[in-house]
This record gives sequence, C-alpha cells and structure tokens, in this order.
Amino acid sequence: MVLFLNALIAGIGIGAVYAFIALGYSVVHRSTGIINIAQGDLMVAGVLVAYFCLVKWHRNMALVPLAILVVVIILSLVEERIAVRPFITGRARSTGWFVSTLGFSFALQNVCVNVYGQHPVVAIPGLFRTASIKLGDTSISTKFLAAFVAVLLTAAVLELFYQRTWLGMAMQGLAEDREIAALRGVNPAQLSQIAFAIAGVVAALAAFVVAPIISSDISVGTFYGLKGFIALAVGGFGSIRGCLVGGFLLGLSEQMFDLYISSEFEIVAGLIIVLLVLTIRPSGLFGARTVRTV
Amino acid sequence: MTAVGSERRGALRQITLRRYLQFAGITTLTALAYAVPTVFGSNDFRMVSYNQVLALLLVVIGLGIAVGHAGQYIIGISAIFAAGAYSAALVAEHFPTHTGLLLMCAVGAASGGAAGLVMGSPSLRVAGFYLGLVSLFAALVVPAVAEKWDFVGGSLGIPLFTVLDFAPALTGYKLYVICLTTVLVAAVFSWALMHSRVGQQFAALNSSEQLATSMGITVYRTKLLAIFIASVLAGVGGGMYAYTQQLMAPASSSPQLSIYLFVALIVGGASASFGPLVGGTLVLAFNQFFTAWSSYNGLIFGGLLIVFAVFLPDGVVLQLSRLRFWNRTPCHVDSASATEPAASTPTESFRTASAHSAIERRDDSHATLRVLSARRSFGGVRAVDGVDLELPRGSIHGLIGSNGSGKTTLLNLISGFYPLDDGQVMVGDARLDRISPSARARFGIARTFQTPKLIVDATALANVVPMVEMRLRCTAWESVLRLPRGVRTHRQALTEARRALKALGVEHIQDMPAGTLPHGTQRMVELARVLAARPKFVLVDEPAAGLSPRELDLLIAALKRLAAAGTGVLLIEHNVPMVLEIADTVTVMHQGSCLFRGTPNELRSDTQVADAFLGLSDPLDTAS
Repeated sequence: MVLFLNALIAGIGIGAVYAFIALGYSVVHRSTGIINIAQGDLMVAGVLVAYFCLVKWHRNMALVPLAILVVVIILSLVEERIAVRPFITGRARSTGWFVSTLGFSFALQNVCVNVYGQHPVVAIPGLFRTASIKLGDTSISTKFLAAFVAVLLTAAVLELFYQRTWLGMAMQGLAEDREIAALRGVNPAQLSQIAFAIAGVVAALAAFVVAPIISSDISVGTFYGLKGFIALAVGGFGSIRGCLVGGFLLGLSEQMFDLYISSEFEIVAGLIIVLLVLTIRPSGLFGARTVRTV
Repeated sequence: MTAVGSERRGALRQITLRRYLQFAGITTLTALAYAVPTVFGSNDFRMVSYNQVLALLLVVIGLGIAVGHAGQYIIGISAIFAAGAYSAALVAEHFPTHTGLLLMCAVGAASGGAAGLVMGSPSLRVAGFYLGLVSLFAALVVPAVAEKWDFVGGSLGIPLFTVLDFAPALTGYKLYVICLTTVLVAAVFSWALMHSRVGQQFAALNSSEQLATSMGITVYRTKLLAIFIASVLAGVGGGMYAYTQQLMAPASSSPQLSIYLFVALIVGGASASFGPLVGGTLVLAFNQFFTAWSSYNGLIFGGLLIVFAVFLPDGVVLQLSRLRFWNRTPCHVDSASATEPAASTPTESFRTASAHSAIERRDDSHATLRVLSARRSFGGVRAVDGVDLELPRGSIHGLIGSNGSGKTTLLNLISGFYPLDDGQVMVGDARLDRISPSARARFGIARTFQTPKLIVDATALANVVPMVEMRLRCTAWESVLRLPRGVRTHRQALTEARRALKALGVEHIQDMPAGTLPHGTQRMVELARVLAARPKFVLVDEPAAGLSPRELDLLIAALKRLAAAGTGVLLIEHNVPMVLEIADTVTVMHQGSCLFRGTPNELRSDTQVADAFLGLSDPLDTAS
C-alpha cells in the first residue's frame, strides 16, 4: 500500500512535468498550428540556468525564477524568429517547421551539453527547505507537490486567458484560418511571437519546478519533450484539460508499470499507451474530432 | 508557328545535353564509388567504416521514400533499423554456421517491415507530425530497452566477432562491392518507384490527402505502404550493418542516429531523385571520417536543418539541377508562353481535340445519382437539412444559392468528404453512402475543389497522368519494374492526359510545374484531371471563378461535352447566367434546404425566387 501511494505521488509529480511540456506545445499549436519540438529543450535550458545560479554561483533563490524566465523567453523568441516565422509568413514551405524546430531542438541541446561540460549530475535545491511532508505511512515530497500546484495554477491562468481575454480568443482563431484572422486585423507574425513568449514562460515555470526533480541532468530534453507530446496526444489536442489529464495519466501509468510490471523497462509504458490511444481513440481523450473542411 | 517549333527543338536539344551530362555524371560517380577503397585506403578499419556508411545509406534511401515521396515523416527510423539489425544479429548468434549476408538482410527486412507496420498503423490515423514524434520516441525507447535486456546482450550488445562458428564468407573489397551494389540498386529502385504509378500516388498524397482521396487513392493504405517500403529498406540496412560490423549494440542505434539520417535526407533533398544518396554520402561520411568537431555535431547538424528548411527546402541535388549552367532555355521559353495566350485560338484547339475525343462514353448503364433527404449539421448549424437531388447521366444540374446555403456541403456529402447525419446517396441500387470517399471516386464520381488542388511541384501533365493510370489495369510491380504492360499503360496514360489537357486548351503548359500556373489555368488543369478520369458523375465546385472569358468558353464547352458523352454534371456556381445557359435543371438552395427546382426557364419565370437570387432585389428586403 505504501509502495502504491508512493508511486501515486511520484506519478502525479512527474505527470505534472509532462503536463507542463504539453501546455507549452498546446499554446504554440493553437496560435500557429505547429508543434514546437524544442519545447523540452527550452525547459532544460532553464534547468541549466538554475544549476548555474544555485549550484555554481550560490545566488539567492529569489533571483532564480527571474533569471530562468529571462533566458528561456529570449531563447524561445530567438527560435520563433529563425525557425518558425519564415513558415508563418509563408515565405518557406509550410511543413518545413517540423524540420526547423527539430533542428533548433538538436542545436540547443548540444549548446546546453557543451555549456554544462563534463560533470556528473548534481542535485539542484528546490523552493522548500523541507524535502517531504509526512502523511501517515507515506510522505509527499515537496518537489512533486510544487510541480503539481504549479501546473494546476498555470493551466487555470491559461484557461482564463483563452476564455476571457480578447488576445486569448484571437490567438485561438489564428491557427484555424490565418487569412480570416489577418482580415480581422490580427497579425499572424505578432501572435506567433506572443505565443512563443507565453510558451517560454510555461517552459521557464516548468524548469523552475523540474530542476529539483531531474537535478542537473542536461541530456533529458528530448526525452521530456517527447513524453510531453505523448501526454498531449493521449489527452487530445486543443484543450488545456487534455494536457493535464494526459500528463497525469502518463506519469501515473509509468509509475504503475514500474511498480507492477517491470522497473527496468518503464520507458516502454509511454510507447504502449500512445500506440493504444491512437488505435482506439485517435483524437485523444479530450480532443474534438476535427471536421475536414474543403 | 515555325518560331515556336524551332524554340521547341532548341529546348529538346538542351534537354538531351542535360541528359547526356547526367548520364556522364552518374557513370563517373558510380565508378568513383567502386574505387573508394583504392583511393582512400583499404585497411580493415577503413573497410568496416565504409560498409557502415553503406548500410546507413540504405536507411536514408528508405527514409527518402517515406518522407520525400509520400510526405510521411518517420523521423525515428533508427528504431526500425535497430529492430532489423538486432534480429539479424540474433539469428547469426544462434545459427552461426547457417547464416550469411543474404539471410541476415532478409531477417532484417522482415522484422524492419513488421516494426514499421506496428509503429505506422496507429500513428498514421492522425496528423503527420504524430508519426514523426511517435517514431522519434520509439528511437529513444529501443536503445534504452536494449541496454537492459539480457536477451539482446544488454549494454554490450551482440558481438558477432566473438561467436566462433560465425565466419563471414564475404570480406574485404568483395564485401564492399556487394554492399555498394545493393545500395545502388536500392537507389535505382527508389527512382523507379518514384516514377511509377505508386510514386504518382505518393506524390498526390504528399501534396494533399483530400486531393489523393478525390482521385480514388486509399489514403491510409498508401501511407502505410510508403512506411512499409521505407521500413523494409531500413531493416535490410540493419542486417547489412550487423553483418559488416560484426556487432549490434545499443550505441549503434542511438537516438542521435535518427537525426543524422534525417539531416542527410534534408541536405540531399528528400524528394529529389538520388537526393538521399547524395545527402547521405555527404553527411554520413562527414560524421564518420571528420571527427574534429564531433562535440559540436548537434549544433552543426541542428543548424543545417534550420538553414535547409528555411532557405533550401529542396536540398542540394534539386538546387544544383536548377543552376542556369545546364538549364538555360526550357524554363524560360515555357514561362513566357504561359502568360501569353496560346498560339492556337481556343476554339481551334478544342476542335482538333474533339476529333479524337477526350471524353468517351464509359459504359451504357444509365443509373441516376440520387440524394435522398440528406442531412448534415455542424454544431447547431444545419448546413444541409433534408435535401433531395436527382442527377441523371448526360445532364447538367445547376446548383445555385447564396454563400453558406449548403451547396458545397452537399457536394462533400455526395463525394463522401463529410459523412451524412441522415439520408442516402444512391446510384441505381448501390448505396454510395456506405463506401469510403476514395471508393466513391473509383466508382466514378469525380470532383473539383473551390481552390484548385494540384500536385504543385509536378508538371501539369503529371497531374493528369495518375488519374488516367488509376483506371487502367496494371499492377504496381509491372509499373515499378517497367514490365511491358506497365510501359504500355503509362504511354496510354500520357496520350490520354495530353488529350484531356488539349480539350481544355491548356496543352501548351503541360511541362510547367502546376504550382507556377495562373489561377485560371490551374482550374483548367484540375478539370482536365477530372475529364481524364472518365467519370460517371462530375461534381464541380465554382469552376468559373477566376477564369478569363476565353477560359470560360472552354469550360462551358467542356461541361457540355461531358454531358453529351453521358456524364452527369453537378455544377455549383455563382455565375448565374452561365448556369441558366447550360443547365438542364436548376436547384436553388437556401439555408440548407431546397428552395426551388426546375428548368432554367421555369426559374426565370418564378418571380419570387428570381427576386431573391437573380439580383433583381435584395433578398433581405423581401424578407422584411
């Protein structure tokens, strides 16, 4: 039972990270129609900033979120400018974003690895001093709690943004029909920039809460990026709730796979789940079946 | 006419010169490839490295078929390569005395193909990037699992050189020649595939799934076929890798490998003939033999991906082939003549075309297409609300109505692009609403789109040819291997496609890329594609929009001829005078239902409808 509860807590904590990445994808996708493959690597770049601030330079914890935010948003905007904008404004072939964001992901990952250098992985402290909160037989580790709370708050803010603000509503319309959006005075290039800025904020928040979980392991960007995509595919495109559900579901099923089937091959769980969901319900659990328009 | 003729001959000479250069270039490069060990050293270590590049080249060629031809981004192909290599290595480990290169490649092909189907069949149900990301995840999972799985040797992998009984019969230069020849054969196969009827279907699919469906191509199965072919090649590459390297280990198929292979593909040009071969040689050789900056490989290759995606999306091969040096005249001659009116006047060209008719009667069955109380809503909007329609063969049925009255939705319901909520679509006793849209296209229901859908990179002629080939009987193999029937049907398809273009007065632009044509001309090419299908029924969606008066005349003549040849034409159009001129029956739709039905003359005399829809007064005024 204790094992089960621990797996449950870890599943929700790790799932929150996946949900974070999925939210980043979702923000960019609804305004531009593209999937930013480098989303996971943006988060890892933020973790690298946290490593330098906290472990190498021993800076104040209060400074860290700001530093992460600045660096990640800048990186996200740079990516938007060089790897995405040409495809939004229609100068280059439309499916090329897949190639260019993959390229950016690969390049950014390589830069991070080189900046970090050849060190063993070290722990990065989190926001809370106490490592865990006792709860009967089991204990909730604060890093998981922080991730869980942060992702819920982020999702709520995003939901409000898209439902209640003019800008949020405009950003949703864009991917649906770029020409009509342009006719209504919405500038696709500008909105794509805003979308990447928001996705940058999401990645920065994710980096801040994920740093204590993954420590300074710089190599996991692609890994988390793809898990985030699986969360998105399981939950379904186009809904904030789908991102959360997909993330938690993936995190939980990985932990349960780990506990009951095999701890060595935990990574297979994600692949099995995504192939199953795509077979049974291709649009994901919360995704609307999109109607083709001709 | 003589000036045009001599220019044509000039263009022909240029093309032959280009052909000659191509032939010389390919021969020289092939000879060089066989001489590589002599030139760059042939010690054991080198030979193993060369063979490794060759094995991976096979994977890149496979990737080219999936990504470049069919547009299916199976980026994580290293997972499939690993499946092939591991199973080949396992066979060699367990049956060392019976195993040779051929068996290992066959085992690799089988398990690679199976892995491709497992990965592809769920991911292909959804948008293109799913396959890319799911396969990339698989590329991450496979080495991670192999690392911990004792059956495949854990982190050490399967070192075949320690298996005493496994003595490879092929070594040294002999092995190199066999591997190189296999790669060249694969490249030629890929080229032949691209220019076969299968390749045409891949190209249509790559251009637009809706286009492919409207041509009668089964989208899902065709995508899966592309993935399967790619996976088999990747699996053969895996078998060759295990044999030549005498090893298969988790490190051999790191996720980075997928990226290198993908970079190789993009650099060479995914959809260029021999692009994967060229790009693969450049990138894999760089990766293998130039290791000074290897810790910055990610930055270099990532940067290359961005640069190529933005600036050189077609890759180096196509970019080079477009150089003015060997490519001077033909393009310019044609682009000049495309904007000018054709040399012959429209009626002339149409008369000559009708001499050997482009549109022939297909069969004698005169079953009528019937729509019975069709319904379809989007959310709360009833786009089509209980519409009946009859379309006899050999007649033109005009469908008019204001924007949003449900005309195009009705067309989509008939062609199957939207499922019916309720109602039936029948031809005779056959229930069309029970079969898929591509099956309806094959049954003989052709359609056009409001915005013309064409394979933009292919020539106008190549846009029409596949449609003819779709209805000529010939197997894929006969077409790929250029067997007699394949060649014969292709020739026939060329002739018929030219005739269809001629019937619409656009034969002079047949060699121009469709995407570069003016909008009106694109419409005519699209219509030529529909003609070439010799359909039983044609659904045309606003064909007159954006046409010049000359093109409009040709369009009207073509539609009349279609009807005269026994085709039922459903014509959605805002150009009401044109509809009233040529239609036998007219239906006026309003807010999803049928407001009026009758002959054009009855419509003219029906004052209420005429008021509302023929522009005599504002419909909103009459409503109030």
